[in-house]
Amino acid sequence: MTPYLKMQNITKVYPANNLKANDTVNLEVFKGEIHALVGENGAGKTTLMNILYGLEQPDSGAIYLNGTEVRIGSPMVAHQHGIGMVHQHFKLIQEFTVAENVVLGMEPLRGKLFFDRRQAEQTVAEVIEENNFHLSPAARISELSVGQMQQVEIVKMLYRRADLLILDEPTSVLTEQEIQRLFKTLRYLAGQGKTIILITHKLGEVKSISDRITVMRKGEVAAVRETAEVDEYELSRLMVGKRIMLDFDKEVGFCSEPILSLQQVTAARKHQDRPLLDNISFSASTCEIVGITGVAGNGLSELEDVISGLMPVSSGTILYNDIDVTHMSAMELRKTGFSYVPTDRLKRGSSLASSIRENMIITNHHDYLTRGGLLDGKRIESHVEELIAGYQIDGRAGMPIGTLSGGNIQKVILARELEKVRDLVLFAEPTWGLDVAGSEFIYQKILDVRKRGAAVILISSNLDEILAIADTVIVLYRGRIVMKRPVRDDAVLSRERIGEYMLGLKDDFSAAIPAGAGGFLERAAEEGGEGYSR
Amino acid sequence: MRDTSSSKFAAAAGLGITLGAAFLIMLLMILIMSETPGKTIYFFFAGPWANTYYLGNMLNAAVPLMLTGLGISFAFRASMFNLGGEGQVYIGGLAAASLALALPGLPGILGIPLALAAAVGAGAVIAGLSGLFKYKWRTDELISTFLISNALIYIVDNIITGVLQDPESNLLVTRKIAVQYWFTRIMRPSNLDISIFFVILLAVIAYFYLYKTHQGYEMRMCGLDPEFARYGGVNVRTYFLLPLLISGGLHGLAGAVSFMGTQHMLFKGFSGGMGWNGIAVALIARNNPLAVIPAALFFAYIEAGAKSAMINADVTIEIAAVVQAVVFYLITAQALYSWIDRKHRRRSA
Amino acid sequence: MNSGEFSIPIIHNTVSIMTPFLLAGIGGLMTELAGMLNIALEGLILIGAFFSVVFAAYTGSLMLGILLGILTTMLFAYIFGAVTLYLKANVFITGLAANLLAGGLTTVLSFYLFGTKGVLRFEGLPSLPVLRIPALHGIPVIGDLLFGHNILVYFGWASVLLAWILIYKTPFGFRLRGTGSNPEAIEAAGLKPGNYQMAGILISGLTCGLAGAILTLNLGAYVPNISSGRGWIALVVIYLGGRTPFGILGASFVFGLAESLSNYAQGYLDIPADFILAFPYIITVTAMVIVSIIKYKTQGDSK
Repeated sequence: MTPYLKMQNITKVYPANNLKANDTVNLEVFKGEIHALVGENGAGKTTLMNILYGLEQPDSGAIYLNGTEVRIGSPMVAHQHGIGMVHQHFKLIQEFTVAENVVLGMEPLRGKLFFDRRQAEQTVAEVIEENNFHLSPAARISELSVGQMQQVEIVKMLYRRADLLILDEPTSVLTEQEIQRLFKTLRYLAGQGKTIILITHKLGEVKSISDRITVMRKGEVAAVRETAEVDEYELSRLMVGKRIMLDFDKEVGFCSEPILSLQQVTAARKHQDRPLLDNISFSASTCEIVGITGVAGNGLSELEDVISGLMPVSSGTILYNDIDVTHMSAMELRKTGFSYVPTDRLKRGSSLASSIRENMIITNHHDYLTRGGLLDGKRIESHVEELIAGYQIDGRAGMPIGTLSGGNIQKVILARELEKVRDLVLFAEPTWGLDVAGSEFIYQKILDVRKRGAAVILISSNLDEILAIADTVIVLYRGRIVMKRPVRDDAVLSRERIGEYMLGLKDDFSAAIPAGAGGFLERAAEEGGEGYSR
Repeated sequence: MRDTSSSKFAAAAGLGITLGAAFLIMLLMILIMSETPGKTIYFFFAGPWANTYYLGNMLNAAVPLMLTGLGISFAFRASMFNLGGEGQVYIGGLAAASLALALPGLPGILGIPLALAAAVGAGAVIAGLSGLFKYKWRTDELISTFLISNALIYIVDNIITGVLQDPESNLLVTRKIAVQYWFTRIMRPSNLDISIFFVILLAVIAYFYLYKTHQGYEMRMCGLDPEFARYGGVNVRTYFLLPLLISGGLHGLAGAVSFMGTQHMLFKGFSGGMGWNGIAVALIARNNPLAVIPAALFFAYIEAGAKSAMINADVTIEIAAVVQAVVFYLITAQALYSWIDRKHRRRSA
Repeated sequence: MNSGEFSIPIIHNTVSIMTPFLLAGIGGLMTELAGMLNIALEGLILIGAFFSVVFAAYTGSLMLGILLGILTTMLFAYIFGAVTLYLKANVFITGLAANLLAGGLTTVLSFYLFGTKGVLRFEGLPSLPVLRIPALHGIPVIGDLLFGHNILVYFGWASVLLAWILIYKTPFGFRLRGTGSNPEAIEAAGLKPGNYQMAGILISGLTCGLAGAILTLNLGAYVPNISSGRGWIALVVIYLGGRTPFGILGASFVFGLAESLSNYAQGYLDIPADFILAFPYIITVTAMVIVSIIKYKTQGDSK
């Protein structure tokens, strides 16, 4: 049987950093199958798919569709060949309607000149209907949920008569319910004869949805397997080579002075019904790591902004060592000695065009003034050199930080934030996108901070990380705290149990379980979906 | 416009290509328009060096450009726009002249600093107004600086040709300021005066301020990455106001310096072009205060060449504006720099 | 300009004054919607003003003059667009370049062709045809508003309607707006955002060419720097008009009225001409500040 798609010996090198993103990669996908393309960050999955979609050109190799070689010079050509891609970051125009976004570039015309909006809505409504989506063609994108936006992206491809759909990390931003809905859609589409390639690194999903799997590692294909024939442990081994288990010494000191406490903190944006953060109360004490988790979009980033003073609070109080800091700006908070490692390392955590030196002194350059009021170059230099050595940063003080790798950029940020920790550090998604060794380094640093007696708030959507190092777990769902328990309570805190809280199925602080959640459980069970496990 | 070590070559080569293209286009224009192209080109290039008179005047013309170039560099470093340079120069000149004319009896040692301070203050207030609007309500300073400056130009016109008009002159000029306000000439018979030394010193101070003080550091960080600066605890809003105050002050100073050593009086429209050329100077200098000095000299050279060609041959001085426009067009062309960068890498790889 | 016996000159003048703002504003709107701040409008108007009157004088035909003037302006706009889009230069700096070049080029050419850098008078140039329907001129206000203007004014009116149709009723306008809002979405649809930005720039060349033509052909002469800030005011008109064609029509009318009133006041009150000239800039900046205060107060600000 000829594969529907065959990518042969694809090689792609990025000259800027001489990185072999794809090294003689072969991929075969059959008609009507759901094919999972798995691998860690930087394994080369997205590059391969960008090549297939015409966004990038391979240095060598060939692409065959139905046995004939094709050259895909641009996404336009990809569309002509029936290839469509749903990107991780949606490419939608917020102020346009669903129908308008779908037909963009292939608008139906009236009188050969005018955009026929009614026809557009009608055709799009048909596509939506045929494929069992729940969308209104006339709704504006800005009114939709993330899951619905993703549906629009898929409808966009179906409207263009795509037979091969590429989905890049489609579940990373979805809630569990939305994931299940997406999977249902994908199965339906595959049943209709569409071919689907799913880029992902979540193994549970791979097992539950795909027919076949191609595993990539460091730009090469590590294995190709039938889904039914592998288990998750083998997949995980194939993906990362050797698995390093997260197991840390969780010895806790004998101190528990509350450092930071939030009391009924609510944050809302103007003209929005549901607050972004709803009545949040918790405190972080000395020698404690408070892990806060949840699915993206449920208040994690807002909590980060509120604690760091970058977003105003609508009501409630934040106390820091018994001082009211609720309305302090980031600038005033910094003066109190607050340390903070942000989620957005590239825009917030660093200034990419500036040198390592300049990045290291943003919070404390006032401490390096000479008597004449100038910056003391010598003292700054020796201080920066010390940090570069201490954190094993691969770079020189004068180099623009933008030329460093992601892991080294994070080390620069850590070095700056941790060198003068007083009693509180906020870490937000500290290991996102880092490799195993890089993550280990960060965990060690976080544990060191605790050992020194400081309170740590760890905001992370990575549950493994929370379970590995946190002392207390807090789960946010739709801006509310739905669970708060000590981690060592092993009987209660399995991954699966926490997952249920993250999805809003359970709530320790409210009697009412969200409507529809029970129904969802049953549906998931019927379909044999494994949900969010592992 | 970031300088990584690998693109420094590209930056230099790109500047070379930009300036080369500008000169080429000018040569082409002279060849088409001049009946004696050889003579015109000779006077364009050699004219400014012909004797101490021309050389001194060229250097003298560079002095206000250094100041406006510095002024724009400060604004650009902080990612603020200042399109009101023309008006700020004009009001600076007016402030200095008004003070000198109001207090003709003051000794120079007191009068000159006072006049200069008045110029700096006037420019700073005008540019600072746009900064204040931005500070308070996020009003876009790009357009507000321009509009305020344009309104101002007409009002200053009115004052120069009205209350300050020299009744004995039939030109649109003010009366002359008293002799003790005059800057000392240093290269007679040209107009070059001692202010050039002070201005170069000021460029060095500006460099130190930007790179060696904590305020300069904060200003640069706010310009590059405002979110990073805010996160790091910098009061970002301050740097909506401060850079424009400094920028306006330097422009105002340019207005004073441009007449106190040269004409000793204001004539209508004397600031023409100084503001816009300041932007070009800052762009060529890549907002580096020390590089502003050669960049301003380059611009003064083009203007002096065009003037010399106009006097001695048959083209008009505005060909200089065309050259400047070409520089403006190409100086930020990223494609040009990355093209050079690729060529360079390929050769060195 | 004979405005009829019973007419109110203020309204009539308002219409003549506002038309260049309107045309340049409509053109600028196209680039604005495509996500580019077009500060080259000023230079484009100047180029249009110079070349249309010069071509009209050379060919002896108003029609040809206007046509060639517009074409030259579009070529000038194309250069500005090409450098910005294809060489990836900063649109703000290239916009300044276009303005500088327009000022320099018109002067150099004026000197080269006519031997003067001053006012160029073209005797014997036919004046722009005027739409007269005497029976309707008598209608108060509306008569002045709608009749007795030269034909280019009606191009201005028409441009509003055409722009509205183009922007909201055609695929082109749809994609143009998409480009300004999220160029990545346009790219993902297999289209090139640069094409739409270039189209916007060329349209602004067209309308600014017309705007310039009105200035000089009305006078039958070219005055150095005749655009005198109209391109900048057009930018503010776009902003105050809420980035819609009819909003721009309204905002242009307000600016036209303000200038017309101040001209009128000059005849009766003893206000120096310089202050009258400064007046539009003062209102514009005041309006800008007020709009930003309202925006700031309603949308709030993070701390």
